[in-house]
Amino acid sequence: MLVTLGVTLHTRFTADLSTFLPAAPDAEQRVLTEQLQGGLPTRTLLVGIEGGDASQRAAASRALAAGLRASGQFAQVQNGELSSLAAVGSWVFEHRYLLSPAVRPDHFSATGLRDAIDESLSLLGTPAGATVKRLLDSDPTGETQRIAELSISGGGPRMEQGVWVSRDGTRALLMLVSRAEGSDLEAQAHVLALVRQLFAADATGLTLRLTGAPLFAVESRAQIESEVRTLAIAGSVLLGALLLVAFGSVRAVGAVTLPVASGVLAGIATVSLVFGHVHGITLGFGVTLIGEAVDYAIYYLIQARAAAPEGWRHWQRLGWPTVRLGLLTSLCGFAALALSGFPSLAQLGVFSMSGLVAAALTTRFVLPVLLPDGAPGRGLRGGLGRQAQRLARQLPRLRRTVTGLGVAALAWLVWQAGPLWQAELSSLSPISSDALALDTSLRGDLSASDAGALVIVQGADAETTLQRAEAAAGRLDALVADGRLLGYDSVTRLLPSLATQAQRRAALPTADALSRRLAAATAGGPLPAARLGAFLSDVQAARTQALITPASVQGSPAQALVDALLLPRPDGHWAALLPLHAHGDSVNTAAVAQALAGMPETRVIQIGEELRRLYRHYLQEAQAQTLVGGAAVLLLMAVWLRSGRRLLAVCLPLLMAVLLTFAGLQLLQVPLGILHLVGLLLVAAVGSNYALFFDMLHTGSAPDEDMMTSLVLANLTTVLSFGLIALSGIPALSAIGRVVAPGALLALLLSAVYAQRPVGAVGNSKVGVR
Amino acid sequence: MTSGTKIRRADRRPCSWLAALALCLLSVPATALDLPELMAVLARQRSGEARFTEERFVSGLDQTLVSSGILRYSSPDRFERLTEQPRPESMRVEGDQLTLERGGRTRRLALDAVPEMAAMVAAVRGTLTGNADVLRLYFLPEVAGTLAQWTLTLTPLDERLRATVRELQIQGQQGALRSVAMQLADGDHSLMHIAAPSASASMPGGRPARRAPCAPAADRAPSRSPPGPPGCW
Repeated sequence: MLVTLGVTLHTRFTADLSTFLPAAPDAEQRVLTEQLQGGLPTRTLLVGIEGGDASQRAAASRALAAGLRASGQFAQVQNGELSSLAAVGSWVFEHRYLLSPAVRPDHFSATGLRDAIDESLSLLGTPAGATVKRLLDSDPTGETQRIAELSISGGGPRMEQGVWVSRDGTRALLMLVSRAEGSDLEAQAHVLALVRQLFAADATGLTLRLTGAPLFAVESRAQIESEVRTLAIAGSVLLGALLLVAFGSVRAVGAVTLPVASGVLAGIATVSLVFGHVHGITLGFGVTLIGEAVDYAIYYLIQARAAAPEGWRHWQRLGWPTVRLGLLTSLCGFAALALSGFPSLAQLGVFSMSGLVAAALTTRFVLPVLLPDGAPGRGLRGGLGRQAQRLARQLPRLRRTVTGLGVAALAWLVWQAGPLWQAELSSLSPISSDALALDTSLRGDLSASDAGALVIVQGADAETTLQRAEAAAGRLDALVADGRLLGYDSVTRLLPSLATQAQRRAALPTADALSRRLAAATAGGPLPAARLGAFLSDVQAARTQALITPASVQGSPAQALVDALLLPRPDGHWAALLPLHAHGDSVNTAAVAQALAGMPETRVIQIGEELRRLYRHYLQEAQAQTLVGGAAVLLLMAVWLRSGRRLLAVCLPLLMAVLLTFAGLQLLQVPLGILHLVGLLLVAAVGSNYALFFDMLHTGSAPDEDMMTSLVLANLTTVLSFGLIALSGIPALSAIGRVVAPGALLALLLSAVYAQRPVGAVGNSKVGVR
Repeated sequence: MTSGTKIRRADRRPCSWLAALALCLLSVPATALDLPELMAVLARQRSGEARFTEERFVSGLDQTLVSSGILRYSSPDRFERLTEQPRPESMRVEGDQLTLERGGRTRRLALDAVPEMAAMVAAVRGTLTGNADVLRLYFLPEVAGTLAQWTLTLTPLDERLRATVRELQIQGQQGALRSVAMQLADGDHSLMHIAAPSASASMPGGRPARRAPCAPAADRAPSRSPPGPPGCW
């Protein structure tokens, strides 16, 4: 106990919802999920400034950007101000002969030079020629301009008064990339607070709109923490009150909390030992565990009391084997979860398994020592038991009706025949639709042509990856040229492969050759060669310039852009991302895939579609696991009961409960997802306890009234605790609650409906005793 | 002519020579064209095409840069500048989409993402379509001269834009533009002469020769805009 408490105190609680992304099976999906879980997106915040007039918004944007830049907390603060791009601009200028795709031997022939100079001159004397004019002496062939043009593909944000604004001009936009890791939620919370504080300092009458993964993560954590706290308090109070009424004894209620507390602590300790951290939602789920663990204590307290004196011996003989079987069936159900590809579901599984085992063991070994004769008080449970018993006698009359309902439900489900599992991965996300709409709208403002598709290129090392990315870019260029693609981004524009850089460097002529050809190229033209001394010396310097490497980019102004598009992988491999820009909403991925055909480790993916595919994969896996779990429960009970008739009697109510719950959810048009499936499994696992007790009730010689009381109380606590999480604002929790609460209630009622003999009849067999 | 109409209307009121005199006096400044009048005349022209020759005077260069090509537009928002000499280049604007072709490369940009470009396009499109509101978004427009020979001066409102472009001067006769002069803030300046497309076969691209300088460019006008009255610019 102390050990588990010690581990619990040192446990890292995370509420990072990306844990709900399953571990990806294929290489591209892994790159994608890695990126979503730890990449640049997890550090990127989008800011909108609304209200006031255009000048006020622009001024607020500039002031906020200046404050954020000065804070040193951000790798990037972009608001459209050219000054924020000046550093990248001069870095590109310094490396222009390694970066420009035009640098080939013929580019520096007399004809090539004349052509390139003419092209530069064509911009002079126009408003667009200011940059060219400034660089003309050192860059007459316009390499800097060429690289800059390449980097701007598609529709950038609208500019007004020197800053980014939305397309309709009603809000100013900023994009921030924090230095702190996305997974460091403390640091991200600090960053969010800083943005809000700096904005509030000089914005009157303006509204700050924030969105992005860091905000979602921080807010989810806060939401999960507060909900889990509320649920735990509400659950404890409600169950405490219920038990107090039922037992009329504080000592009894105290005894009940013992298995629950040991179960929760053991769950946290085990999960934290196995996974290294405990997800916030797992804790939320722990609240529901109270509902199941409390059952064991209730069974003991009531059943041992009924047999006093020496009630505990009686219970260990009669009650414990059934509890143990119920525990084993629950473990079968949760084992299916523990093996899930979803890290969070696996946590839930491990948490529940260890928690239930600890709770059951506490009940078996600790409670008999503390309360050898069960619950000291009597409370109102006598009445409860009598009422329950009366109800239980009536219920079997409904057997035909219920069976008819079940058949109708089955028929309806079959007739429906539509896709039963419609929920998307996003249904697990606690982010509100308003927040998502704001996110979509700000992202749309920032990049109108972002198509949500990208090409992923991988290689064993950075150089291979970059060479493959260059090859892929070549194929994409063809698609851009014939208009099937608006454009794409590639890291190779700022970090070409070493091979390409070396080729470009080798294409640069010697000083003598260059000045001879330059004289020929400029003869009779408007640009006098005498002005171009800086050009000659820059080209000479570039001939021995160090090549750009992933390492040399670190700390340079290009780092942020390179980091976003070139990713070192945990396994030592590298991946380059080439986001695609489309004319309309979507990229013709088939055309891109065709263009990339045959290129090694190069694939185009549509992010949304890929995540859906991933989810479907795990839904199928979960369905298989559920079937295996269900089969294990069945096998276990078959071995225990050793009678086909009794097995049927136990399983039929469970099956009907699952069927009716499922049909009810369908009827209410709840989009069913992976967590509803998990919920159905829990219904079977929890419900098996009731069915087994009913089986024992009708074949054994246990005192009926107290057995009924314990079952009804146990069921009430389960329904209450799962009913509570059904009200949760966290979709992952409420989904499970909404399935288990009605399902568990149905399981008990149907167990009574399908009871073998009228309650009260005395059986002869001694089954259920070991 | 609007002012002429006013005078004639005044003549038909013999009983009130005083009123006629007053109207005549009022109509005198009206012959010195105002912006709404000019815009109304320009708006009648729905589409057009013309050759241009541009001279750019850039400090530090030995020669004046000369280029030539074709301008083309159709209401409400299509505008093309196709440079043929000294090297083929093009700029096409339709709505908020800007397409640039230079040196064999094509770039497509959102016009509102490049404010200087948006202002220049507004100057041209606003003038060609006679839309004063578009001009006023970016410039202070001032009109001088008469309808027979007018000058529209556009001064950028935004100081950021004024740091690049000091002033634009568009000259024209009736509904036709004749020249566009641009004064850049660094002292460089350019002058574009716009000629009516002559009936020569020298235009590249196999375009049909025209019978008259002011023939309608109906063959190139998009079907969604009704053909405007004959004219050129």
